[in-house]
Amino acid sequence: METYQIYSLASAVLFVVGLAGIFAARHFFKKIIATKIMGGGVFLCFVSFAERDALAFADPVPHAMVITGIVVAVSAAAFALALSRRIQQLTGQESFPVDE
Amino acid sequence: MSVWIDSLLAVLAVFLAVRCLLAPTLPQCVFLFFAFGLALALAWARLGAVDVAIAEAAIAAGFLGVLLIDALRDFAAPRTHGETAQKPHFLTQVLLGAGLVVFLYVALEAVWNVPDGGGLTALAADNLPRSGVDHPVTAVLLNYRSYDTWLEVGVVLMALLALFATGGKELFRRPVVGAVDPLLRQVILFFTPVLFLVGAFLLYLGKTEPGGAFQAAVLWGAAGILLHLGGWPVFAAMPRWTRQVLLTAGFGFFLLLGFIFMSGGSALFEYPVAYAGVLILIVETLAALSIAAALTAIFAYFNGMKAASVENEIPDPS
Repeated sequence: METYQIYSLASAVLFVVGLAGIFAARHFFKKIIATKIMGGGVFLCFVSFAERDALAFADPVPHAMVITGIVVAVSAAAFALALSRRIQQLTGQESFPVDE
Repeated sequence: MSVWIDSLLAVLAVFLAVRCLLAPTLPQCVFLFFAFGLALALAWARLGAVDVAIAEAAIAAGFLGVLLIDALRDFAAPRTHGETAQKPHFLTQVLLGAGLVVFLYVALEAVWNVPDGGGLTALAADNLPRSGVDHPVTAVLLNYRSYDTWLEVGVVLMALLALFATGGKELFRRPVVGAVDPLLRQVILFFTPVLFLVGAFLLYLGKTEPGGAFQAAVLWGAAGILLHLGGWPVFAAMPRWTRQVLLTAGFGFFLLLGFIFMSGGSALFEYPVAYAGVLILIVETLAALSIAAALTAIFAYFNGMKAASVENEIPDPS
């Protein structure tokens, strides 16, 4: 088993763990962290295939895309966090209301 | 041997992710998320992606961690949010579980049997002498695919504007709540020039080694955040036009450069080979300054959100 295969399998598991977290978690905070874990899975998948296609160095295109992606994901998470704090401050709610 | 290290690291990352989502309290969740980010950074170092490892440790674990800890002040009230929450219906749980298992199978199948296209490594290596830099990742970020990088600087700016829309744009002016430790102020004063120098070093190092604009931007942003916490709100203290110029310099200069060379007949963001190295360094410096200013502003805004809610709470009981 190659090194990259270990990480690409782990990336699939991480993605599903994050997805489960988004559905199962109630608190805004945990939902945001779950999306970050999903994103971590996607980035790990990219970087593991960059290692597979390595010649003298690993494929730099996925690396650059992942660096860009990390910054974009953090910007989106910061916005989500600000929205959730604002909702908490205005309504006292910390999770989405449940319909009966 | 190395297979064992990699397997352990992969299991550790998955374990930390699961523990993080199952943590009973929010502070535990946040600190397990830090640990998860650092485990991922180690995994990337193992995969030879040192640039990504630095970016992950600095931005995804470090900067986002600061924002999460700051947000804990709003959410960490010892209120059990489980008491009003009903368990979802049994059938819902079963269906969700079954769906996730099927999805896990599909995802594992997909990453296991991904077709071997050979990647773009050879193409990137062949064009490296014409890119103006010696480090392949920097070449992709600022020459081959600078369109992506340009838009990314724009996304950070957009995130800041969207934040301003959530609670009023004046929140970042509010001073830090509570007294500031004089010892902390001295330490911050000592470390600010160090952070600035290390950032500038990383920026210049990006030409030949792992490093570059984002890593430098986070260090400069960290200096701004520390100064803000020490009671010197650098971002708010600047005149309005300085703030605007700082925030838009990276995005604007990138665009200007792209159009100038486009008017000369080349493609958007196609640099002349002779000047590529110098131009990339200028673009990187301005982009790093813009991102650092945006990160400082985002933190100042987050800090101001709490200050504003504290002020609002005082007249509440009367």
